Amino acid sequence: MISKLIEAIYTKVFVNIIVNRSSTNVYIEVCSRNNVDQSDEKEFESISMNEKMHDFIYSYTQDTPYFYISILDTSQSQGAIPTCEKSQMSKFYDADTSTYICNSNNWAHYSSKYDLELLKNSYKDVGIDFIFSSFSVLSSFFKDKIDSTMAMYILVEDNYISLSVFDNSKLLFAKHLDMEYEDESSLLIDEEEEDEEDFDLGESVNLDDLDVDDDMDSLDDLGDIEDLGNIEEMTDFEEEGEISDISSEEDDTSSLETEGFNEDYQRYSLIQNAINTFYKDPKYESKFIETVYIADSIGVSSDLKTYLEEDMFLSVYIRQLDLSSEICELAKEEV
Amino acid sequence: MKYSYITPRKKSFFTKDFQLMFTFFNVTFLMLFITYIFLLFRSYQFDSRAQEIVLTKTETSQSIEKMELYTDKVTKEYLFAENIFTANSVLKDSITNLFDLVPNRITLSQAKLLENGLILYGITPNEDVYNFMLAAPLRSVFNRTYSSFYPAQNGWLRFVSTNYTDKEKEELNED
Repeated sequence: MISKLIEAIYTKVFVNIIVNRSSTNVYIEVCSRNNVDQSDEKEFESISMNEKMHDFIYSYTQDTPYFYISILDTSQSQGAIPTCEKSQMSKFYDADTSTYICNSNNWAHYSSKYDLELLKNSYKDVGIDFIFSSFSVLSSFFKDKIDSTMAMYILVEDNYISLSVFDNSKLLFAKHLDMEYEDESSLLIDEEEEDEEDFDLGESVNLDDLDVDDDMDSLDDLGDIEDLGNIEEMTDFEEEGEISDISSEEDDTSSLETEGFNEDYQRYSLIQNAINTFYKDPKYESKFIETVYIADSIGVSSDLKTYLEEDMFLSVYIRQLDLSSEICELAKEEV
Repeated sequence: MKYSYITPRKKSFFTKDFQLMFTFFNVTFLMLFITYIFLLFRSYQFDSRAQEIVLTKTETSQSIEKMELYTDKVTKEYLFAENIFTANSVLKDSITNLFDLVPNRITLSQAKLLENGLILYGITPNEDVYNFMLAAPLRSVFNRTYSSFYPAQNGWLRFVSTNYTDKEKEELNED
């Protein structure tokens, strides 16, 4: 009773940590009773706890004993299964090395005990109070849709994709996909394919078939080389510099676009593979997916939507998600 | 634990700062309490001493009153004794004077001292001896002197001399 009274006097601080591919996002909310007094967000160029991050968190947590530090589970071995019965669970994952939490008695999300301990140990300087699964965030974010529709729900993070299929609040299928892990595997496949191609080229090209004279004739088709001297007269050095700057900027943006394009395509292919697994794997009760709801926490381009709509004929709806705030809300519900 | 894999660490308001503050306040309150108890004790001591002093004062004043009464009594007794002593001295002197008045030839058999008078019984060889040697000094002392004679067996005379002093005259004399 007294501790409740004293708890009401103090402010509550919710620290939410999200580990991205190459950085860590820390979002802090200072609440008194039910009001948010203050909020702050900072990105650190590190994927582990460092002094700056510790100082930033400590600057908010030092004033109150009632602070809660939440983190989004980064385990690759996490997932969700369409049952809460222990006997059924071993069909989907290694129940001995994992821990699970049952949701509304019909589906559960799980994670590796080892990874959770590792996560707790990595942040032992500040301590961790809550570790949330991406599936908890997903189900909480799409609560209004999950209860009433049959659709696929996807949470797009910087380096992960959490995918689940719900049919009127009943989980049919779920998968947690790591983009980096998939990257490496796809690269390995590409390399293997390249090697095979090289081998084929080596086998198929016949040196005798090459005609040197033909190549020499083609060189004649080029313009007069002397004309090239006129270019120096026509353009100033400075202008040339500007042009080169612009061209380098264009190169940068185009490389970013390509990167974005590649990532979206990678996401699309991961989703496509997962859907194929859902349709083909007899473990899962497969139903035809018509609608996809995407919770976008990083700002994906419209390409992903286009791929899914045009190639897989799905109705795609994208909702912007502030992952930090969503985790903060989950933490508030837990307190 | 609805969503989280782990339970949050137990949050206690009993932080190090709070412990320090709590200890500080506790020590302060303890010191104040001890001072309060000490003052209460001293106050009780003063009260009881004040009561004792009041009681002693009452007793002393009572004993002073008693002593004053006793002193008065003693003074009165002393005065009374002195009066008696003076009266006795006066009587003694009077008796001595009386016996000095009586001549050798007259023998007294009885003398009665009255408040304002003297009655003498005795034997005289004759009436003249009595009249000249005893009646004359008696008349000078007393205001009224009455003498009566009757014969004894050996031929002498027995006499009764009654002498009185008038108070009014004495007062007048005194004035």
